Amino acid sequence: MDTKEIRHLYLRAGFGIGYDEMTNLASKTRKELVDSLFSASATFTPLEVDLSEFDEYFNAKPGELKSMYNNKELQELKKKSREKVKELNYAWIERLAAGNEVLREKMTLFWANLFVCKDNNIRHIQQYNNTLRSYALGNFGEFIKAVAKEPSMSKYLNNKQNVKESPNENFARELMELFTLGIGNYTEQDIKESARAFTGWSFRKDGSFFLRRKQHDYGEKTFMGKTGNFDGDDIIDIILEQKQCARFICTKIYKYFVNPVINSDHTEELASLFYKDYDINKLMYHIFTSEWFYDKKNIGVKIKSPVELLTGIRMTVPVSFEKKRQLLYLQKMMGQTLLEPPNVAGWKGDKNWIDSNTLMFRLKLPSLILNDGNIDMAEKGEPQDSFEDYYKINRKKPMFFKTSVGWDNFEKEYAKPTPAELQEHLVVTELNKGTRAFLSGLKTVNIREHIVQLMSLPEYQLC
Amino acid sequence: MNRRKFIKNGLLASSTAFMPAFVRASGIFSEGNEGEKRVVLIQLAGGNDGLNTIVPYRNELYYKNRPEIGIKKTDIIRITDELGFNKNLAPLKKLYDNGYLSVINNVGYPNPNRSHFRSTDIWQTAADSNKYFDSGWIGRYIEEKGGKPWTGIELDDSLSLIMKGKAVNGIAAKNPAVLFRNSQTPYFKKTLEYYEDDETGNQNLDYLYKIMIEAESSAKYIYQTSRIFKSKLDYPKNPFGRQLRTTAEFINSGLKTRVYFISMGGFDTHTNQVVRQNRLLGLYAGAMEVFVADLKQSNTFDDTLIITFSEFGRRVKQNAAKGTDHGTANNVFITGGNLKVKGFYNEPPDLTNLDKNGDLIHTVDFRSIYSTVLKEWLQTDDKVVLKNSFERLKFI
Repeated sequence: MDTKEIRHLYLRAGFGIGYDEMTNLASKTRKELVDSLFSASATFTPLEVDLSEFDEYFNAKPGELKSMYNNKELQELKKKSREKVKELNYAWIERLAAGNEVLREKMTLFWANLFVCKDNNIRHIQQYNNTLRSYALGNFGEFIKAVAKEPSMSKYLNNKQNVKESPNENFARELMELFTLGIGNYTEQDIKESARAFTGWSFRKDGSFFLRRKQHDYGEKTFMGKTGNFDGDDIIDIILEQKQCARFICTKIYKYFVNPVINSDHTEELASLFYKDYDINKLMYHIFTSEWFYDKKNIGVKIKSPVELLTGIRMTVPVSFEKKRQLLYLQKMMGQTLLEPPNVAGWKGDKNWIDSNTLMFRLKLPSLILNDGNIDMAEKGEPQDSFEDYYKINRKKPMFFKTSVGWDNFEKEYAKPTPAELQEHLVVTELNKGTRAFLSGLKTVNIREHIVQLMSLPEYQLC
Repeated sequence: MNRRKFIKNGLLASSTAFMPAFVRASGIFSEGNEGEKRVVLIQLAGGNDGLNTIVPYRNELYYKNRPEIGIKKTDIIRITDELGFNKNLAPLKKLYDNGYLSVINNVGYPNPNRSHFRSTDIWQTAADSNKYFDSGWIGRYIEEKGGKPWTGIELDDSLSLIMKGKAVNGIAAKNPAVLFRNSQTPYFKKTLEYYEDDETGNQNLDYLYKIMIEAESSAKYIYQTSRIFKSKLDYPKNPFGRQLRTTAEFINSGLKTRVYFISMGGFDTHTNQVVRQNRLLGLYAGAMEVFVADLKQSNTFDDTLIITFSEFGRRVKQNAAKGTDHGTANNVFITGGNLKVKGFYNEPPDLTNLDKNGDLIHTVDFRSIYSTVLKEWLQTDDKVVLKNSFERLKFI
């Protein structure tokens, strides 16, 4: 396969590809490459942080908590849980840079922005994150049914409060509006009826699902023209029967993996395929083996998300962060903090990542983390912060980045390509005419400087 | 945009920087800035407790619900028969006496949301509580006005949703020198110097260059215009004081910015509310006093409207930790030299008619305030910016 196409595939199905690896793969056919990409992600490795200190808490039986912990201790546990969620964020970011099961990880990122959820309970949100990961390339119907039963989702969209006597429609509404069909493809009555089907869906503290029979509405419901004593799973089955569901998902997938601008012929092609059995693996395989995926107009046109940008840099030059907290800082300054979606609609993406400030920051990012830069910009305070914490009064200014850069390993690999080859490898977008002239006129002293220069170009912001 | 156009625009934007300050101040040289009004939006982030700010000191229910945290009558500056200021707002009393303050009570929205993030989004995007807008009302205002990023400045290092439009955004400038320096890093500058509009057909790449060009010219315009004016007044030495000082310098230097946004943090008083909030109110009022004086000194106060709000108020009944939990309706302060209605704009909070959570029920939709400001002060189509029609108020 052509090296340009290999890069495109790996940037979209993953976060990029190293120069050596790409040279080794150049002799393979497209089918062989895509096959190996998929087989590398056939396994599922859960993402986990150490939760042993919470064991007693999460395994306590209902009603036991009050006798086990006083108010102050419970507040402490909640605080510790929030700290652990940050730890999970770091673990996730590090996993992306490690480069294993890349396709599965890329899909997990995608699903996390579709089935948006947020929870400060570390056990539940970790479980949720791994549900996304384990179903990422599986059956979409099973996936949605699992998500609907997750404690984090139940809390986030108030299904916990959805009981027979007073149904709460929030989950049913977002399920259809944001997760499966899109606005205008169901009626308010559909929402009311389906909310009844999800009543009584509950969970135990340890994260397992169970049905509160007394709170479940077993009665007859009419949903999308069908009548029956539906429960939540039945509702989901009926939703899947609407081709619009396949179309909705395929459109989102197209925007994320192929081009922010839709080609409706292609999305219809995908929808028809997906509608047959809602097999995510098959769908993604079809995309990556389609000729149109490799069309010039799809290459280098997507604005990298902050996480894609950061991970891409780290895949080229190994960087380890001594202060993990700085990973959080980078995400916040660029507007994407994993596990902290802005709202249930998720991150809009593409041009929305970019404003005057985030763009300047992103262009500065490579020199910041590769050249031991320091930065005099602070991330925003949190609404629950004290005045001092909000303004980071006690922090040293400016902030020095503490990274260890694996320059030796980098130079071993990247000494081989010529400057022109290096440029072609890192910047898949066609360079602006003027920028090309600028680069060719540069007197680069060494390869380290050159790589930072290339990564500091606006063109590098695209993939 | 080709280089010639960019250079031309860049020069125009910063032409005022080369004019001596005294000429600008005298008004000899009209930049079309006269009579153009501006707004300063201040969010008290965390949910400021309105009831302990503007205290219904004659209302028995107030003290009954807050046995440990109710503000004592001796700690209140009485204003009317029903309401008084928390004494830490003393500097605001002076503004009140001068007719520079209008307090709108019971401001909120239907189906209130008590999450910081969600309610902040609602206030910043002007959306109904069951809708999600991905743009802020000031971002949309900038777009409607066809303005440059510097039309809206946020006093921070990154943009909040309030400043984001669909395709145009405001700009975050906490420290204009730092912003300028960051826009002058070698690759940034050089890349722009060499950039040629060659119509590659790559929409997103063109977009990135456009934003870069705007960022550089905005940073330069803000820095070069504002560096000439340094405030001579003594602002309180804390981050909020600095935000106001920088804002005053922006305004008084002649920047054509229309809207400024400042977020002051610390108001989420779940525990030990009285001590914490009193201190914050003192910081707020103290800095506001100097800010208003600064604007008056430079004759920019009459054209400036300052709006102070919070994403929600707090629960009427105190909690077990001598604090309060998230609530709903709250008061909004309007500060300006040209107010039509001074003092308390409307009735005090009704503590007998609470919602099922024990929270205040709003009587004024905050978007009415926005639509009034947009139409009457900023002379813009409020319906387009707010995506809906809201009854206007009469405070300006």
